[in-house]
Amino acid sequence: MPFRLAARLPLTFLTLAFALTFGAGCPSKRPPALATAQPGEGAGAAGADSRSHARTQPVEEGPDVRAIRGEGTSGSDIAGGGAAFSGEGGPLADIHFELDSAALSDEARATLEKHAAWLQSQRSAHVTIEGHCDERGTVEYNLALGEQRARAARDYLVSLGVAQNRLNIVSFGKERPLATGNDEAAWAQNRRAHFAVK
Amino acid sequence: MPPAAARPAPPAAQQPLPSDTIVITGVEGKFALPDCVPRKPDEASQAACRTLTQVLRADLRFENLFQFVQDSLIGAIPPLNPQAPRFEDWKGIGAKFLISTQAEVTGGELVTEVRVYLVDTGQAMLQRRYSGKPDNPRIFAHQASDDILALAQYKGVARTRIAFVSDRDATKERPSKELYIVDYDGYNPRRVTVNGSLNILPSWRPDGQAIAYVSYRQGSPLIYLAKIFEGQSVANLSGEKGDSQAFSPVFSPDGKSIAFASNRAGSADIFVAAADGSSPRRLTTTQASDTAPCFSPTGQEIAFTSNRTGTPQIWLMDSDGLNVRRLSQGTGNYNDGCAWNPAKQYSEIAFTARLEAGPLHFDIAVIDLATRQVRQITEGRGSCEYPSWAPNGRHLVFSCERNKRWEITIADREGRSIQTLATGPGNNVQPDWGP
Repeated sequence: MPFRLAARLPLTFLTLAFALTFGAGCPSKRPPALATAQPGEGAGAAGADSRSHARTQPVEEGPDVRAIRGEGTSGSDIAGGGAAFSGEGGPLADIHFELDSAALSDEARATLEKHAAWLQSQRSAHVTIEGHCDERGTVEYNLALGEQRARAARDYLVSLGVAQNRLNIVSFGKERPLATGNDEAAWAQNRRAHFAVK
Repeated sequence: MPPAAARPAPPAAQQPLPSDTIVITGVEGKFALPDCVPRKPDEASQAACRTLTQVLRADLRFENLFQFVQDSLIGAIPPLNPQAPRFEDWKGIGAKFLISTQAEVTGGELVTEVRVYLVDTGQAMLQRRYSGKPDNPRIFAHQASDDILALAQYKGVARTRIAFVSDRDATKERPSKELYIVDYDGYNPRRVTVNGSLNILPSWRPDGQAIAYVSYRQGSPLIYLAKIFEGQSVANLSGEKGDSQAFSPVFSPDGKSIAFASNRAGSADIFVAAADGSSPRRLTTTQASDTAPCFSPTGQEIAFTSNRTGTPQIWLMDSDGLNVRRLSQGTGNYNDGCAWNPAKQYSEIAFTARLEAGPLHFDIAVIDLATRQVRQITEGRGSCEYPSWAPNGRHLVFSCERNKRWEITIADREGRSIQTLATGPGNNVQPDWGP
C-alpha cells in the first residue's frame, strides 16, 4: 500500500498553546464536583473524591447538566429529579405481554375491563400507562415496543368508554425493569403495562 | 464569565500540510518510538515524559497503520540523543522513521517537542513544540499522535470522546441513568447530566459542543440538548405536545438538521427538523413503529428501524422520506440500531442483529451497501448492541453484556481486535463516538 508522507516542513518550530484549562483566571465557585473514577490514573485531580461530600450537602437546585471545563467538573444532583416515577402497586393491576408483542391477551383484556369499571367509578382519576419491556430486546426498539404496549392498553380502555384525556402513555422500554433476574419469570414480569394513578 | 472554550484548541490542525508532499511507497517501513527524553531531571518532567511515551505508543498503535521496531532492539543501541540523533544506529535496527520526543515542566507549563525523521536522509518530516498546562500530559500525546497520522494522510481519533449512559451513580431510592463522556481510550470519564432521572440515547452534535439525548425528567421521554461546555440544556427540542414522546435523536453530518422518532401522529414515526427543532417534517407514515434513524455521510439518505413487516428490520429512505426500501435481509428476525460509516470510502452500515436463533442474543454486524455482504463483528462475547463509528470510520464502539455487566467495547471495522473500554463502574451502555 503506498502512503504519502509530507516532506520539507518549515524548520521553524510552531509554538502551540493548548488551552488545557478553561475559564482560567475566573475564581471557581462551582458546586462540589461529583468526580468519577479515573481508571489507571494515580494522580487524580484535586477534589476528585468529593462525591461523598457532595451527597451530604443539602441540594435544592442545580443545573440539569454540568459544565465540562478542562479537567474539572461541576454540577450537583437536583433533589426531586426524576419525579413522576410512579412506584409500584396502586389500585390497578399490571397487564402482561408475550415476548416481542404488544397484543392484548384475553387475560389482559379482562384486567383492562376491571380497570375501565374502576375508572368509571373514580371520575377524577388520571392514569399514566407505562409500557415496559424485558431486557432481552434492543434499547431503541424496546422503546417503540413499550410505546405500543402502553398504546394498546390505552386504546382498549378508550374503546370501553374511558375518556382519552384521562390517560397518558409513557414508554420505558427496557430502561426500568421491575424484576432484575435473568430468567423467564423475571422477564415475564417486566413485559407489562403499569397503571400509575394520580 | 463567558462560555468556556470547548476543548483543547487543535493547534496543529490549523497548520496546513505543505503541498509539495512526496509519495513514499512501502508501508513496511518501521517506526522507532524510543522513550521520551526529559529536558530537566525533576520528577515532574520525568513523569510527563513517561506518560507522553506510553500514551503516544498506545495512540499510534490503536489505528494499526504503522509497524514498530521492537523495544528490545531499541534497548540494544545507544540511547537517543535528541539534539543529534545518530541515524546510522536507527537504520541499523531497521527503522525507517524515528519519532523523537522531549518534555519539561517549566514555569508552570509543560513543553513537549516532537520530531519525526526520515532515517535514510535525516530529514525532519515534522517538528513541533506543544506547550500548555501540565495537568493532563495525555492530551499532548493525543495531539502529537493525530499530527503524526496526518503525515500519512490519516485522520486520527486520539482527541475524540465517547458519550455513554451509566447507572454508576444510581441508588436504590433513585435508579437513575446519567450521561457521561470519556476520552476515546477510556480515560477521564466525566459526568454530564445531574438530574437524577433516566437520561439515555446520547448523540453528539457534529461540532462537539453539544449532545442531544432523551430524558425522562419531566415524566415521559423527550429530547434534550446538553450544551456540555456551558452546563446548560434545552428541553423538549422537538416540541412535543400533550403526552407525545420523542426519542432516538441524531444530527445530520452537517449539523444543520436533527432526525428523531416521535409518536405525535399516533405511532412512532421518523421526523427531521432543523437543528434547533424548528420546521419538523414527518418522513414515515405507517402505523408500525419507525424508529432509530441514522444519516448517510452525505446526509441525503436515512436508515432506520421499522417493524412494518412484522419484525424489526433496517430500512433505507431518502432524506425527504421517499424511495423507502428494506436493507436487512437474512440477518434474523430482529435488527435495530443502525450506524452509517461516516467515512465515504466505506459504504457500509453497522447494526445490532439477532443472528442466531435460540435465546435472545444480539451481535454487531456490518452490511456492505454495494454487495449486501454482511460481516459479523462480535461473536461469543455475550449480547452486544448499539454500534457507533469512530469519526474516521476505522473503529466501532458498542456495548456488550459480559458476566452480567454491560461494558463499552471497541472493535476495529473488521472485528479483529475487540477490547473492553475501562470507563469505570456500573453498567455502561449506549455509546456514541463524538468528534
